[in-house]
Formats: sequence, structure tokens, C-alpha cells
Amino acid sequence: MTNQNSASASKRPTTAWRLWRRNGVIWAALLCLLFLSLGLAYVQMGLFTPTVGIVIAFIKASLVILLFMELASSKALIKLAALAGLIFVATLFALTLADVLARVGGQ
Amino acid sequence: MSEVTGLLREPWEHFERQRGAGKFGIWVFLASEMLFFGALILTYAVCLIEHMDAFAAAGRETNIWYGTSNTAILLTSSLTMAVASQAAAAGQHLRRLVVACLTLTVALGLAFLVVKGFEYKEDLDKHLWPGAQFALHEPGAQLFYGLYWLITGVHAIHLTIGIALVGRLALLGHLKKLQLDENPEIEVTALYWHLVDIIWIFLYPLIYLPGRVS
Repeated sequence: MTNQNSASASKRPTTAWRLWRRNGVIWAALLCLLFLSLGLAYVQMGLFTPTVGIVIAFIKASLVILLFMELASSKALIKLAALAGLIFVATLFALTLADVLARVGGQ
Repeated sequence: MSEVTGLLREPWEHFERQRGAGKFGIWVFLASEMLFFGALILTYAVCLIEHMDAFAAAGRETNIWYGTSNTAILLTSSLTMAVASQAAAAGQHLRRLVVACLTLTVALGLAFLVVKGFEYKEDLDKHLWPGAQFALHEPGAQLFYGLYWLITGVHAIHLTIGIALVGRLALLGHLKKLQLDENPEIEVTALYWHLVDIIWIFLYPLIYLPGRVS
């Protein structure tokens, strides 16, 4: 068993300031996106208005998953577990909405 | 590695294996949570497609300021949780930072519940609980509020569990009864906390933003 902490030990020491700066940038981006989605909800864009809110939610969720939850730097097994959840949710939505949207169009 | 051996539990022989298993386990659990909330949100989406106008009218009745403040509160709690988790994982004796960030996370979680409580009170005063006294007349508006109470309620239960878990770590860390450096419990708890935040990120545009264009 090799010492797996050698990677973190070889880096510069983690200071409180460095942690706040790295994560603070992500937090600022998340708040900007929140206020952007709030502002855009009052703009008349037809069906795009609700779509923009969902798209911004996806961007915010991606930032949290990849950076706060550190999925971007996680091992392949962890990425696979997260991806499994996403794939099943996507399947659930795709199959149900394929049916529902076809019915709404047909009536 | 001497500090780390104190954290080693049965049946693992190596700490890194234990840590990897814990992280994999919580991600599998989070995947099941994605499906749980995914099904609820999908139900909402189907009702929305069938009652577009009623959902816009119902969404307009929600209090956007409570909703937006609570989103900002939860996003900030994810910041403090991430800093706590990374400071603990760094294993460089940042105990005070970890304890402070865990405590802040609990405080922000409680602040969310307090705001939500005021919001629920206002909703009840406006007769937005589905039933005979329901305030809106559009067919389908009761469906919106049925799902509103169900989904935000289940989310609040998840957040309450998160507050208890993070509060336990903060308390034990404060009393110096728990080794914080490289403790995988903090990382696993943080992952759960972030998921609860992510659920809310999706609920915000679905509940608070419809019907704002007039």
C-alpha cells in the first residue's frame, strides 16, 4: 500500500484563505446565476421564460456537483455512481415526457 | 498515518479503502435520492404541461422574496460546507476553521427553516392549502399546491436530517471528541448536504418563477 497522502502533502499547504478564495469564486458565480434567473423570469420570452430558469438551474447544479462535491476530481467509480443516477433520472423523464407530450399535441 | 489509524473501522484493513467505500456508498445513496426527487419533479412537470395557465397563476401566488432568500441561504451554506469538508480533508490542523464552518452551515440551515416557516404561515393565511377553502379557482391550481406542500415538505425533512448530522459533527468537533483531520464522516455528510442544496436549486425555478411575466 503506497502512501496515498503523498499527493496532497507535496502541494503547498492548504490555508484558510486559499480555501475561501477557491470556493468563494464558485459561490459568487452561483449567486450571480440566481439573480440572473430571478431577473429573466420577469422578461416576456414565451416558452423560453420557464426554459431559461431550468437551464440556469442545470448550470448551478453542475457547479455544485463538479466543484463543491468535487466530482470533477473524483475517481472513475464515483463518477460512475453519480452518472448511474443521472442516466436513470434522464430515462424516467425521457420515456414519460415522450408519452405525455405526444398526447398533449394530439388532443 | 498514525493520526489516521484512529479513524479506521472494521472490516477495513486500510484507511484509504474505508474512505473510498464510504464515498462510493454515499454516492449510490445520492443516486437513489436523485430518482426519488426526480419522480416528484417529473409528476410536477406532467401536471405543468397539462395545466400551463393554472400553474402560472399558482406560481404567481408564491412569495418570491422568501424563495429567493432561501435559495441564497442554501447556496451560502454549500460554500461553508465545502470549505469545512476541504479543510478537514487537507489534514493540516485547521480545526477551528472546520468547526466554525460546520457551525455556520447549521446556522444557515436553521435560517432556511425559519424563513420557510414564515412562508408556510403566509401560505396558510392565504388559503393555499388544497381543499374546500382553497383560494384559487383555476382548475389545476390545487395540483400545484398539492405538489408544492409535498415536495417542499420532503425537502425540509431532508434538510432537518442534514442539520442534525452537521450539528453532531460541529458539536463533537467543538468538544474535541472527534478527530476532524481527514475524517471521512465530514466528507460524506458534506456530499449529502450538497445534494439537498441541488434539489432546492431545481425547485426554485419550478415553484417560484412561473407566472412572473404578466
